[in-house]
Amino acid sequence: MAVDREKVEQFIYHEARLTDENRYDEWLALWTDDALYWVPCGRDDIDPKREISLIYDDRTRLETRITRLKSGVAHAQEPKSRMRRIVSNIEIEEGANGEITAFANFMLAELRRGVQDIFAGRTIYRLRLVDGAFKLAYKKVLLVNNDEYIDNLTFLI
Amino acid sequence: MARTKINYRALVKSDRVHSRLYTDPQIFDEELERIFHRGWVFVGHRGEVPNPGDFRLKRIGLCPVIMVRDGAGKVNLLLNRCRHRGATVCNDERGNTRAFRCAYHGWTYKLDGSLAGVPYPEAYDEGFRREEFGLTHVPRVAEYRGFVFGSLSPAGITLEQHLGRAREQIDLFVGLSDADEVMVDCGAHKYDYRANWKLQVENAMDGYHAVTLHESFLGVLAERARAQHAADDYKGQFEGSRFAVTRDLGGGHVMLDYWNRLYDALNDDPIPEVEPTTARGRIHFDELTRRFGHLRAAHNLMQGMTHTLIFPNLILIGVQMRVVHPVRVDHSEVAVYPVRLDWLSDAVNATRLRGHEAFFGPAGFGGPDDVEVFERVQTGLAADRLAPWLMLSRGMSRERRDADGTLIGERTDEVTQRGIWRQWMKVMTHEDRPRRATRQSVRLPIGAHPFHQSH
Repeated sequence: MAVDREKVEQFIYHEARLTDENRYDEWLALWTDDALYWVPCGRDDIDPKREISLIYDDRTRLETRITRLKSGVAHAQEPKSRMRRIVSNIEIEEGANGEITAFANFMLAELRRGVQDIFAGRTIYRLRLVDGAFKLAYKKVLLVNNDEYIDNLTFLI
Repeated sequence: MARTKINYRALVKSDRVHSRLYTDPQIFDEELERIFHRGWVFVGHRGEVPNPGDFRLKRIGLCPVIMVRDGAGKVNLLLNRCRHRGATVCNDERGNTRAFRCAYHGWTYKLDGSLAGVPYPEAYDEGFRREEFGLTHVPRVAEYRGFVFGSLSPAGITLEQHLGRAREQIDLFVGLSDADEVMVDCGAHKYDYRANWKLQVENAMDGYHAVTLHESFLGVLAERARAQHAADDYKGQFEGSRFAVTRDLGGGHVMLDYWNRLYDALNDDPIPEVEPTTARGRIHFDELTRRFGHLRAAHNLMQGMTHTLIFPNLILIGVQMRVVHPVRVDHSEVAVYPVRLDWLSDAVNATRLRGHEAFFGPAGFGGPDDVEVFERVQTGLAADRLAPWLMLSRGMSRERRDADGTLIGERTDEVTQRGIWRQWMKVMTHEDRPRRATRQSVRLPIGAHPFHQSH
């Protein structure tokens, strides 16, 4: 079965827009129950059992992240970041059980309290068809600056 | 540049400190000299360089330093500056090497800092002695349980004297492990902020802020706790001293002394059994059990055993060692290193890391709110014309001596802030008082700057 490239791209762009616009609940609804949202720290290939990540969220912790962001007292996101990102260089692979792995590069401009930061990196997505629609099972973000001093990464990357 | 003499006594009072202490570049320069260059500062842990040739780039104040283990197993602190024309000879943050070779003209140094050779040596006359041109050693280096401290001053009190009672907290932080049982190989959360370095130091030992600033974290946690266990009003934990006290250990070393830790309820994973995996680990665990009981010993090994500032730049909280680097008066960098213990199982060590990630780091659920407020403070301090003071008076009248002689107060009292500032004043005004003869005989490395003038 050929991968429907356009559908995969649309999902990725949609997910990017939800993160840009801090649309927390809609973004959370994209995820499967066995979700893993992962941003390694220090290097791209770390062993999470022995090394720390910037973000290593299973479904429960992902929900906690969203609850916190919506609380109105997550001060590092009050005011919230204003963001726009470009997602490009998309490559798609079909895996076992119809799961799709996609790779993309991104560049993000993030503005908060008068300072605009640029974040760039590579994202690995795993998508799964659930009741005819894609769900996000895995998102690993390899930040170019994952070994540098970062002041604030509390928005959705 | 003409500089006026700063009257520190007019800026630091027992119950308040002046905005200028966080905003004046001259004060920042004097802090670097007196606190970071003359005194003992934490540099790194032996566990970061476990093998011969392993190195890490470090700093003492603004001074670039290489921490490297040589072939004999000794951990050296070397100034990262070629003795020829001053270029850095080590340019990777970490790695393993057989030698440091300057890219500029090829001067090459061994792991103990000695000069191995220079290209075309015949051009130097016979007065040029290779042994005089090794990388400069930090004049004083000392370790406690693998924690490596350095001082750019060739004379001063010993590390043992400097650490005083804080040594006990280092013991607990590593679960009584010996230096080589502490694994500092889990990476680091690194963040910076546009505000003064002392805001991080004070905040880390502030028992008053969590209930408000970290409401988003504690609220989620309380909800989780209600769902899982018996309901407990988390706000109640911040009243009085039933759950923790603030404690001044002396020498600027201060702590929040908890009887329990708060953030474990966030971890939904089944709690792994704490069983030592080595014979030495069994000895440590039995000793901890004897002191605290089995449950608390096990709990603390998963969460960390202390919450302490080692003045001026090392913070031990939970499973992390956190190092504060002043960069400019209004810019600071912080590196947070969670550690594993080699006698705990992989499952327990992984639990330590996941618990750490929940709160700390640039994407954590607590740390970034602290950083946010540091910048709000720095911005607010510009309004220094009419009411320039930052207050430290909380709980002053109920401070008391504990049985062990340390000064304690209730959890939200500013005992810790006052303890930090007392030491700060002592160090910053040191020259105003008669100097006692505490000089040690230390040979000054050739070319080293004599920071510490004898009187």
